[in-house]
Amino acid sequence: MAGIQLVGVNKRYGGTEIIPEFNLEIESGEFLVFLGPSGCGKSTLLRMIAGLEPVSAGQIRIGGQDVTASAPGERDLAMVFQHYALYPHMTVRENMAFGLRNVNVPAAEIDRRITEAARMLELEGMLARKPIQLSGGQRQRVAIGRAVVKEPGAFLFDEPLSNLDAALRNRTRVELARLHQRLKTTMVFVTHDQVEAMTLASRIVVMNRGRIEQMGTPIEIYRKPATRFVAGFIGSPAMNFIDAIPVAAEADCIKVRLADGTELQTGVPTQAARKDAKLVAGVRAESLTLDDASPVRGRADVIERLGERTLVYVTLSNGHSVVAQAHRESPVASGDLVGLHFEPEHVHLFDEAGLAWHAA
Amino acid sequence: MSARQHAGRRMGDHLILAAVMVLALLWIAPLAWVFALSFKPNAFLAQHTDVVLGAPYTLKNYTDILGTSSVFRWIANSCIVSVTQTLLTLVLCSLAGYGFARTAFPGQKALYVFVLAGLAVPEQAVVIPLHRLFADLDLHNTYSGLILPRLAAPFGVFLMTQYFKAIPKDIEEAALLDSTPRWKIFLRIVLPLSIPAQATLGIFTFLTAWNDYLWPLISASKPDMYTLTLGLAATQSNFAQSEGIGYLMAQAVFAGLPIFVIYLFFQKHIVSAVAGTTVR
Repeated sequence: MAGIQLVGVNKRYGGTEIIPEFNLEIESGEFLVFLGPSGCGKSTLLRMIAGLEPVSAGQIRIGGQDVTASAPGERDLAMVFQHYALYPHMTVRENMAFGLRNVNVPAAEIDRRITEAARMLELEGMLARKPIQLSGGQRQRVAIGRAVVKEPGAFLFDEPLSNLDAALRNRTRVELARLHQRLKTTMVFVTHDQVEAMTLASRIVVMNRGRIEQMGTPIEIYRKPATRFVAGFIGSPAMNFIDAIPVAAEADCIKVRLADGTELQTGVPTQAARKDAKLVAGVRAESLTLDDASPVRGRADVIERLGERTLVYVTLSNGHSVVAQAHRESPVASGDLVGLHFEPEHVHLFDEAGLAWHAA
Repeated sequence: MSARQHAGRRMGDHLILAAVMVLALLWIAPLAWVFALSFKPNAFLAQHTDVVLGAPYTLKNYTDILGTSSVFRWIANSCIVSVTQTLLTLVLCSLAGYGFARTAFPGQKALYVFVLAGLAVPEQAVVIPLHRLFADLDLHNTYSGLILPRLAAPFGVFLMTQYFKAIPKDIEEAALLDSTPRWKIFLRIVLPLSIPAQATLGIFTFLTAWNDYLWPLISASKPDMYTLTLGLAATQSNFAQSEGIGYLMAQAVFAGLPIFVIYLFFQKHIVSAVAGTTVR
C-alpha cells in the first residue's frame, strides 16, 4: 500500500502543453478517480504515474520514493488497461504468472497467489484457457487478476469498464468496490463516466484541459460544484443553466431576474455578486419541481418516465429549455403548460469567470 | 431472407464454384501434362506430345536424373541456401521491423523510406555491381556468396514493420509494467504474436530462394556449388529443347517436389499468406 505524490508535474508535446504544473497527493489506501471529458489529460496523467509516459518536468513519488526516472516495472504498480492488454498467446494462468516470474517469485508462491486471485475473481475454471476463449467480462477479470497477483503498492485503472456492456459494467463496478474494500490498496481510476466516479471514488479529481477543476468527495462535488464546468459535467441529467441578473437582496441572499423576466429568490449570500454582474443560475432537475402556483412557467414538450421518477423537459417562454423532475406517477403530459418551482437553497450562481456561489 | 432470395444466393454460390473449378482445371492442366510427359520415353515424345494417359511409360527420365552424380549435392546446396536465407531473413526483417515500428531514433522515417526504396530497384540493375563486389570479396562459389545478397529484403522489413505496428501497444506496456526487459518483450510477446507474418515472409522467402536462378547462375560457377535449379539447367545439353522432352519434364517435376512437400505441410499458412489473412 503506497501513497502517490505528483509535485509540479508537467507534460508537453513539442510546444504544446498538455498538462500544466500539476500537484496532487493521493493518500495511501485511497480510491481516487480522475474524471473528465476525452482529451482532458487524465489518461496521460495516469500513464505518467505508471512510467509509460515521461514527465516533462516535476516529480512523481510513490511510497515516499522519487520514481520519476524509474522504469514502469520498478514502481511497484499494477495497471488494468481499457482493452485488457492480455497476452493473447498465453493462457490465463500464464498471463497472471508472467510478471511474477520476471521478478523471480518462487513457483509455489506464484501458484498460491494465482489460486487466491482466481477464487476471488471467479476464474478458477478458466486458468487453462486463452484470452480469445473468454468473454469481454471474463477478460477484464483476468486483467484485474493479473494486477492483483502482483500485490502492488497501488493499482492504476485506465477506463477499464468502458468496453463492457451496461449490465456487466455495473457488476464489474461493484466487484471493483469490493476488491478495494478487501485489499485496501491505493487505487487510481481514470474514467469519463461520472456514475463510475461517483460510485467508486473516495475522492474525485475533476479535470479539464489538463488542470484540476475540483477535487473532493463525490457528494461535495455533486452538491457544491466549484465551477460551471464541474456543475455541467457531474449529474444526469445535466444541471440546468439559465441566464440571470441580480436585482435585489432579501435576508442577505441574492434575488435574480431570469431571462424570461421572472424573479427568483436564491439562497446565495449577497457578497457573491456585484449588482451589475451577469450571472448564470444553475439548478439540478431534482431541485426544479412542477408547481402550478409558480410564476415561472413553460410548456412541457418531452416526458421521460424512468420508473422511479419522471423527467419533464420544459421550454420556457423565452425559448430556453430546462429539465425538471416530477413524481413517478405525475399526470403531466406533453404540451401541458406547467409552473416550475426552484428550491432556493439548491440554486447555484456562476459568475462570468465560471466560478460557483452556493447557498450558505 | 425470403425463400426466393435464399435460392438465388445458392444459385449464385454454385455459379461461382463452377467458375472457380473451371479456372482451377485450366491452371492445373499444364502441370498435369508436364507430370504425365515426364513418364514418357524421349524418343516417343519426339513424335507425340499430345498423348498424356496412354502407354508407353518409363521411369528412365527419373533414373537419369538420379544417375547424375551431383544431383543430391545440388539438392543439399538448395536446402542450405534456402533454409539459411529464410532464417536469416526472418531474423533481420523482424529486428528491423520492430525497430522501425516501435523505437524512435533520429532519421527513422528517412531511413525507412530509404529501405523501402529498395523495392523499386530491379534485380538486373544491381547484378553487375553485386558480381564485382562479391568477386572482390572472393565470395563467389561459396554459400555466403549465394545467401548474402538476398538478405537485403525491403519487402520483408515493410511486412514486419506494418505487422508490428498493428500489435496493440498496450500489450507491450502491460509487459513493461510486468518488469519485462525490452529484449524479452520482443522474444516472448511480440515475436509469438507475429507468427502469421513470420510464416508469410518465411514461405515467400523460401519459395523465392528455392526457385532462384539468376544470382546462383552468376555466383556459382563450380558444379559443386550449383543449386538444384542451376544444376538441372546445366544438364540440358539440347538448347532448342526439341529432344529429351521427357527428361526436361522430369527435371521440372523433380525440382518442384520439395516445394510440393512443403506446401503439404504449410498449406494453411500459404493460403493465408496469399489471401492476406492471418491464421489463428
